[in-house]
Amino acid sequence: MKWYETKGRDSDVFVSSRIRLARNLKDYPFGDRLDETSRKEIIGKVRGVFEGDPEYGFTDFSGLSENERAAASEEHKVSPEFARSSKNRGLVESKDGTVSVMILEEDHVRIQSILPGLALEEAYERADSVDSALDAKLNIAYDDKLGYLTHCPTNLGTGMRASVMMFLPGTVAAGGVRSLANQLAKIGLTVRGMSGEGSAADGCLFQISNQVTLGVTEKETISKLADVTGKIAEQERTLRKKLFDADRDGVSDRVMRAYGTMLYAVRIDTNELLKLYSDVRLGVCLGIIDCLNVEKLDEILIRSMPAMIMNQHGGKMTPAERDRARAEGIRKILSGSDGK
Amino acid sequence: MLCERCKKNEATVFYRESVNGKERSLSLCSECAKEAEKKGELEDVFEHENLFGTGFFDDAFSGADKLFGSLFGVRELPGRTKEKVKKCPLCGSVFSDLVNTGKAGCPECYRTFSEELSPTISRIHGTTSHVGGAPAAYKKDREKKEKIRTLEAELKAAVKDEEYEKAAKLRDELRAARAEGSDVK
Repeated sequence: MKWYETKGRDSDVFVSSRIRLARNLKDYPFGDRLDETSRKEIIGKVRGVFEGDPEYGFTDFSGLSENERAAASEEHKVSPEFARSSKNRGLVESKDGTVSVMILEEDHVRIQSILPGLALEEAYERADSVDSALDAKLNIAYDDKLGYLTHCPTNLGTGMRASVMMFLPGTVAAGGVRSLANQLAKIGLTVRGMSGEGSAADGCLFQISNQVTLGVTEKETISKLADVTGKIAEQERTLRKKLFDADRDGVSDRVMRAYGTMLYAVRIDTNELLKLYSDVRLGVCLGIIDCLNVEKLDEILIRSMPAMIMNQHGGKMTPAERDRARAEGIRKILSGSDGK
Repeated sequence: MLCERCKKNEATVFYRESVNGKERSLSLCSECAKEAEKKGELEDVFEHENLFGTGFFDDAFSGADKLFGSLFGVRELPGRTKEKVKKCPLCGSVFSDLVNTGKAGCPECYRTFSEELSPTISRIHGTTSHVGGAPAAYKKDREKKEKIRTLEAELKAAVKDEEYEKAAKLRDELRAARAEGSDVK
């Protein structure tokens, strides 16, 4: 099961929770200063930590096609930066898909753990246990004063980015995203839309993460993020209710039209998909649509990303072919004829 | 490369002087360099070979020379150039490499350029002190240091109170704790 096929806590607002830990090996330079021999050595050393562990598998990431790499990023398995480069890189993944270890991202190692819904602590525990496994066998770069030493000084200290993906259609409708972003910036949190902006075109999805990594413990960072996003979630639920109460027919009409499009359209492009996703997910959360759950919609969203579609259809496709395949895929998931 | 002065630490500060094409250099570790700089010795190392004899130019330019010297670590005088370049012993980065990329060249850069980086790190995070998790060896080390500190305090108190039997026991424990050494490789 993938994380986006599983039910999470508070999934009406929280799509996923993610922890990333940046780690480096003491005796190697960073980034461009690494030569090919050192890259191979690092990949070998990190891979070696998981050798013989049936829970983990290794992929020579640079051996994948550009499309396969992009799909891994769309599934949130690896970062977009990691997917973009064709340099020698490795990926270690847990069988259940919740933990991945990017070898030679910006840092030598980036441990990532992703879970559905609000589950920061559980995600941290998983990342932390991988971190301990690495620490037991490798010489990790650390300094008593600065903590974990990272390529970019913005990650020094814990080397940890904790983030949650939130679904905020109520906040977007109330025009509250900008002020939310400003408030969060003041307390050391960052908001990013799916395409880097905060608009409905992003499917009302926002990623909120910690900015500071030095001078705070992992636990403090996580509990602060959970507290603050918990309050955002409460406010979001109130705003949704207000939105619905103000114009029940209007909201229901928008939701059902979007659902109808998902069920019957022949072509759907990515932008339309994001709008449909947002409207239908809101409809499910408000109880307007009761024959669907949010997990199904999150699965639709991820499986409908361009590289994911091309991956399922074995390679290059024109945008029109992709839009057709996307609409077809959505219908299959909705009707349950995708074999699940 | 080892420091030319103490012959113990790795050299991280490199002085190079070129006088009319004739080059001379000095490689020191950061401690010896600091020491030498404090005593003004580095000036002496190169100063005796003054081409202008009278020192007129040196005097005239000394103010500006010192200012630029401290800003860029580079000194230029008519007919001669003097450079002071601190290099990271692991990756060979100089500080301007870090400034240009906004990133460290390797983990060791943070130690090599700790003074230079401190204001930037403080600006980003509002602090320069880590309080979170650590690799197991460092955690163990932290506990050991803590234990040694506690034992030292107890020993001091025991001696002060003239509890010599207790003090002797503590002294042995302290010796054993110190002998354990560090877990950090």
